[in-house]
Amino acid sequence: MSNNPPEPVKIEGVYKKFGTVEALRGLSLSIRRGEIFGVLGPNGAGKSTLIRSIVGLIKPDQGRVMVLGEAMPNKPILSRLGYMTQASALYDDLTVWQNVAFFAGLMGCQEDAKIQAALELVELAHRADSPIRTLSGGMRQRVSLASVMAHQPEIILLDEPTVGVDPQLRAQFWAHFRRLTEQGITIIVSSHVMDEAERCDRLGFIRGGQLLAEGSADALRQQAGQANLEDAFLWFAQQKEVTQ
Amino acid sequence: MNMSRIIILARRVAQQLVADKRTLALIIVVPVILLTVAGVLIRVEPSGLSIAVVNQDAGMVLGTQSINLGDRLTANLQNFELFDTQLMAADEAKRKIEDGELDAVITLPPDFSAQVAQSRQLILNVQFEGSNPTVAEKLRNAFEQVGDQALAGLASLQVSDSGNPAAAIETDLNATYLNGGEEFDTLDYTASALIGVFVFLFVFILTSISFLRERLAGTLERLQATPIQPLEIIIGYMLGFLIFGLLQGVITLLYTVFVLNIHYHGNLLNVFVIESLLVVVSVNLGIFLSTFARNEFQVLQFIPLVVVTQVFLGGVLWPIEEMPGWLQPIAYMMPLTHANTALRAIMMTGESLGGVWVQVLALVAIGVAVIGLSARTAGRVRM
Repeated sequence: MSNNPPEPVKIEGVYKKFGTVEALRGLSLSIRRGEIFGVLGPNGAGKSTLIRSIVGLIKPDQGRVMVLGEAMPNKPILSRLGYMTQASALYDDLTVWQNVAFFAGLMGCQEDAKIQAALELVELAHRADSPIRTLSGGMRQRVSLASVMAHQPEIILLDEPTVGVDPQLRAQFWAHFRRLTEQGITIIVSSHVMDEAERCDRLGFIRGGQLLAEGSADALRQQAGQANLEDAFLWFAQQKEVTQ
Repeated sequence: MNMSRIIILARRVAQQLVADKRTLALIIVVPVILLTVAGVLIRVEPSGLSIAVVNQDAGMVLGTQSINLGDRLTANLQNFELFDTQLMAADEAKRKIEDGELDAVITLPPDFSAQVAQSRQLILNVQFEGSNPTVAEKLRNAFEQVGDQALAGLASLQVSDSGNPAAAIETDLNATYLNGGEEFDTLDYTASALIGVFVFLFVFILTSISFLRERLAGTLERLQATPIQPLEIIIGYMLGFLIFGLLQGVITLLYTVFVLNIHYHGNLLNVFVIESLLVVVSVNLGIFLSTFARNEFQVLQFIPLVVVTQVFLGGVLWPIEEMPGWLQPIAYMMPLTHANTALRAIMMTGESLGGVWVQVLALVAIGVAVIGLSARTAGRVRM
């Protein structure tokens, strides 16, 4: 380890076009170690594209995405990341344990103790041998979370992890996230729900593939002179239109 | 290339199949049912057979006894219930067998009796219609019996000129076939090819559907966010399905050899080599084609396209040599064509791998080509 470890994620002027749709338009962003960074914006703002370009699933047309000091896409660096897709992507026929062990194994972690620890963190150790198809939606999401963190990644990316999750479970999830950052893990989470944003250390407002503003929830509210985040978001969006 | 990741993926593919008990059972049960049906249909007791005798035998005089073996044979043939025997002239018999009205024609030359006495061998000249090997096989056995019956009781013939008991006269057939050959029956021919067809069919269906699900469920996207390479995914899939493909191969082979009693002279290892090559082709074709389907129904549409055309054109039912010239190159592009040819040669005549090197090479070449195709598409999440 050098004295100055590279930033977990640094995005520099990334531009990405799908056909005629400009998904990202010169977006730059820097994420700090050990924080929960919230990517906030309406549907179609480019949140998923941003997260997928951080994991290297999308190669930017222009600009570059640096993860842990390496330009993405970069396969070997992926074992230090955990990526949870929007829908819980699991194998229905396999058991909870088999699913978590499979994804952890591909990341290079074959220690049963770590898989057990991940299942305990999401409080599903007692269901280790249940096939996924027998689980409820909320349980699946928790298995999904366990399967992206068992190999102890340095960065976890969560694409709308709490969509369709009931409030009680949502609170549990955020408690898990907080526990992970206490271990020095960086979490990047996308959402379009503003009340979730309050739980993040810092936020990035995204609209039309561009970054509107960046900072803590308090700082953003203050800068916009608004009482709540939703109004702050609208204020920044308006500012952007005015300047263009 | 990382072996541990490949094995983790292969293990997962195997775990999924083991978890899906119904599919696992179908892999074994369906081929057994289909082979049994094929066996029953192909080996059904033939009925309504008719043969013709062209009897020109002039007979002979042995000592004081006048013998006409031709007449005796004809009488014996007419006593058989298996077939209807008619006497007719040579040209009429020729016309009728070519029209398919007769199943066999026995021709007894003018010096038939004399020849038997002289050569001490009863040689029947038989022409079989031959398009159904089962019929020809049954008639052969009957004719040999008839020959022996005709000789029985002819004590004078059984004594050599010197007056000592001579070796018994044996009946032999000098058989010619209008169609087909004598060595094997249709089930031998079909079953050996079907073993290849089953492996190909099931591995193709299972791979294309599991890979499609991988894409639909989003697990493929997650795989691509791990260090695993597309080629490692493909090899993992191949290893995972190889176990079950070979398991199915062993069971169908044991069933056809010991229950359906087909002629088997092959070496199991050689059969496995061919089946493994088929699994490689099938897995990769499944992965490649699943890219073009958006749901399970669309995947099912590929089965007639990929499997049924190969059953029709791959020489399972009709010999490739008898196909129209323009179809033959297409047949030779299909993996099942080469697998069928190789499996038949290995199982029916005990050919070594060296003896089927052309087919092995063709399968390897097709395998490399489809791996190239699937490796390009396995890396893509969305089409």
